[in-house]
Amino acid sequence: MDCNTCDTAPAVVINKPDVVDVDLTITEKAKEMLSSAFGDDMSHSLLVGVLSGGCSGYMYDLQIVESTDQDCQVVEIDGFKVLVPNATSHLLDGIEIDYIDRLMGGGFKINNPNASSSCGCGESFS
Amino acid sequence: MGVVKLDAYVLIVRGKDALKLINGLSTNKVEASCSTVFTTNAAKIIDMASVIVTDDFIALVGHNPYKEDLLAHISQKILNQDITIGDATASNNVYLSTTEITPPGSVTISHTFRGWLMVAPTSVEITTNMSQSEFDDYRVENMIPMQGFEITPKNHPLACGLGHLVHESKGCYLGQEVLARMRSRGKQGKELVRLPNPVENATTVGKKNSLVIQRVKNN
Repeated sequence: MDCNTCDTAPAVVINKPDVVDVDLTITEKAKEMLSSAFGDDMSHSLLVGVLSGGCSGYMYDLQIVESTDQDCQVVEIDGFKVLVPNATSHLLDGIEIDYIDRLMGGGFKINNPNASSSCGCGESFS
Repeated sequence: MGVVKLDAYVLIVRGKDALKLINGLSTNKVEASCSTVFTTNAAKIIDMASVIVTDDFIALVGHNPYKEDLLAHISQKILNQDITIGDATASNNVYLSTTEITPPGSVTISHTFRGWLMVAPTSVEITTNMSQSEFDDYRVENMIPMQGFEITPKNHPLACGLGHLVHESKGCYLGQEVLARMRSRGKQGKELVRLPNPVENATTVGKKNSLVIQRVKNN
């Protein structure tokens, strides 16, 4: 295998999924927690993304951000701005953002109708 | 022993996230060149691949009939990561030598558990001097599983003699929960064994012995 051969290797066409206009909901408890996280500064947004990895193939990625360089769609719910990267919109349409208030396994939780299974710790889904 | 030509694909994976993606989708801890197994979330095999890490790219060398399934699997997981994949299968031939040899400079050689894997541009002639039955016998005597024989989508890695490619502590990867549970409970269901001929349902038949995947006796 020489590098010239590899440089000219025909690119594999990777079929990117269609971008979906994401519809999502946020539970009252999650809104309460987001209010507390944002404080008075509602210029921040909640970025809900998906990374590959974990025991089931995909992992959620939640971040509070001022801005992002990802190509995102903005969903506004009751004054909260939620950013969803277009590259992962097909995996996130219809999700509910919830907050579970308990010591173990607590925190923001995504209920995803697109997930056929999730791993034991709930961190990843497929 | 000698050299045999394999029916193999050569995929060239580039981008800063390439190694992370391959590591997250396969059973071995992929930090450098090694062999690893891509599995489904039910831990069934998609393919076993030799990963050759160079400064510029990562080459995945696996079993050609399984290429499309592996590509479909990997493609779904790329999302917005910095990864491109090229297919260099048509411009390279892949050989396996059972002994260490020194090939021409343009040939990439990688030592694997099966032997010395050589990826050669099609312009380079490498002489094969081992018949399929001799190679099968080499595999039987050394308990080396092969795609299409023992390594198939029906099996999980522990069942077909690839336990050494399933890292115990690397963390999450697709199929990890199932494999970790099998190991922790000591119940892997089936295992690869070598038995003297004749062997019923043998996966590979050798001169004196054969390989077979059978239910673990004490499970």
